[in-house]
Amino acid sequence: MTRIALFGAILAALGVGIAAALHAEVAVLGWLATLAFLAVAVAAGAAAKSLRASSGLIEDRHDRGPSMLEPLPPDVVSRPGALGRLWMYAVGAFAIMGVVPFVALARRPGRRGTAWSSGARLVTSDGKAVKADSLVVGAIETVFPQGRTGAPESATLLLRLQDDVLRVGPDRAGWAPRGNVAYSKICTHAGCPVAIYRHASYELYCPCHQSVFDVLDAARPVSGPATRALPQLALDIDSAGYLIARGDFSEPVGPDEWWRPA
Amino acid sequence: MITRRIGRFFDERLGTNAALRYFATKIYPDHWSFYLGEFALYAFGLLVATGIWLTFVYDASQSSAYSSVVALSRSAPVGYLMRQVHHWSAVTFVAAILLHMARIFFTAAFRKPREVNWVVGVSMLALASLAGFTGYSLPFDALAGTGLRIADSVMLAVPLVGGWAADVLNGGSYPGPMLLPHLYTLHVYFLPVAIAVLLSLHLGMIIYQKHTQFVPDPAHVVGRRFWPDYALRMIAALGFSAAVIVALAASVEINPIENFGTYHDWTVPNPAAPDWYAAFLDGALRLGPAWEFRIAGHPVPAIFWPGVVMPLVVFLFAICWPWIDARFTRDRAKHDVLVPPTFAPWRVGFGVALLFAGFVLTLAASDDQQAFTLHVPVENLVVFYRIALPVGSVIAGCLAGLFARELRARDTQHGKESERVVVLRRTASGGFAEEDTQST
Repeated sequence: MTRIALFGAILAALGVGIAAALHAEVAVLGWLATLAFLAVAVAAGAAAKSLRASSGLIEDRHDRGPSMLEPLPPDVVSRPGALGRLWMYAVGAFAIMGVVPFVALARRPGRRGTAWSSGARLVTSDGKAVKADSLVVGAIETVFPQGRTGAPESATLLLRLQDDVLRVGPDRAGWAPRGNVAYSKICTHAGCPVAIYRHASYELYCPCHQSVFDVLDAARPVSGPATRALPQLALDIDSAGYLIARGDFSEPVGPDEWWRPA
Repeated sequence: MITRRIGRFFDERLGTNAALRYFATKIYPDHWSFYLGEFALYAFGLLVATGIWLTFVYDASQSSAYSSVVALSRSAPVGYLMRQVHHWSAVTFVAAILLHMARIFFTAAFRKPREVNWVVGVSMLALASLAGFTGYSLPFDALAGTGLRIADSVMLAVPLVGGWAADVLNGGSYPGPMLLPHLYTLHVYFLPVAIAVLLSLHLGMIIYQKHTQFVPDPAHVVGRRFWPDYALRMIAALGFSAAVIVALAASVEINPIENFGTYHDWTVPNPAAPDWYAAFLDGALRLGPAWEFRIAGHPVPAIFWPGVVMPLVVFLFAICWPWIDARFTRDRAKHDVLVPPTFAPWRVGFGVALLFAGFVLTLAASDDQQAFTLHVPVENLVVFYRIALPVGSVIAGCLAGLFARELRARDTQHGKESERVVVLRRTASGGFAEEDTQST
């Protein structure tokens, strides 16, 4: 009886886990959990019943310390048999039943996009839109998509370079109109803002862990622990002369994670 | 075997086998009524388990509290079930504590040397009710907000210090910006930690002082060994308690906040009634007289008496009961043997009268709904309950006392009292020898 009930408890507890993962209805979850607990009650109750009658044992009222000289009764120290192992599996099944609701809390991992979209004007942190010649050559500015200043993961570095210094691959042709080039400000190593620009060597420098990115070569890492280039934001100029984004970043911004799409 | 190796690892370093031997072979008396307290213990376990989960989705800000709780039941069925199990655990937790306390009271288990544990237990009942009320408030739905508003008014009614306390709790006047954060801290930190500490004391004292028993052998503990006999019964009780609570949660919806809407201080759901353990306070507020007077120009509002003085008197009276009982029975000796309730009809009568008074106050908390269903003016019901509170309690107490006396007389006639009790005594060699104890 104990064996059957324990099997039932294990199945029901695992069932709760599976049902929760499949977003089953409340009634299914609730009654499966009820069944699991009830099966444990039956298993323990049946085990207690099957023991040789043990009621009516006595000990002295005023004995208040452990009596270490007595040998342990054999059934206290016996090694767990098949039934004992079944009890342990039941504990494991209930642990799974307890963990699954926490898994249900999590949203699908993987990075969602930033606030940048096609046609979004570049604005400074105080909301001023940036024109193609707003920045003098050699200057740097932190920019956001218009109307989304401060949006998470959207901080972008806009740099104005001489027209001919940028080494542009064929896939990124026209992304930096009139020397305006934009890279994500979120370091690909550990997510710090890449806040320092080494003007003389065209390098972006992260103050947290000293990763260095080459501005002229698609912000590829040249030193430090970062392994991935800062994603580039493709720019364009609208009819009024303002800088706009052509879309979101070329690849996910920020540090790598297990679920990051390749 | 891995368990054996782990056991040896700890024994070599901490000497755990000696402790295990002591606890495993310890004798526990057994009776069905001893499982009421265990039900409360397991309900507390479920509360902690589901409560931890709920902290991951709850947002304790006034603007988002309600929507965060609604969202949790909409986003995943498991979230809805968690909240239902949590709430059902809370109401059955308080109920089990009260039943357990009634068992202790009617069998006189609170007597010397266990007065301290009675005080710890009564304190846990108060803390459990507070934990329940703060938890009930957290979703900040229309019903919760209404309950908080009433609690705030009761606080304000306390002479001199009430206004200060309410201001601190609210972080301003009701509903202040700090109200929900403060309730949240109380609910997930201070109250559960206080309960856990008192619970440890409670169980520690039971183990140290040893359990009371019905077997009339004051010199010995008579019962079952902890391992495996009593432990298996505890696991069965755990499974059964959890099954009952989860079944209730799966089949009967409790506190459907989606129907109440979020709280505004100009709306109130009708009917508006609290969870059952707080209903006696609400009933007292409904029955309380419309007296208000002034001390040196300051008003003492009507709700001060039913809302503050009444619960305080009840709590202090409950705390002091072991000493009141000792004075009344002129019995200050140590007792380890329980008194069957029928052997003390006066105690049965007194306890039933108190419970009946609580019952009347609880009923009064839904007098509006009764008036609606019975087509009776609610004013008449208030008059009825005001009379039923003292008169009904006295009658119920007298009837219960007489009934207990009658039962005892019958038991004596059928010779139940002279039952022979067989006691097995453990010998020095580890075996068992039978021994006769004649009950008195």
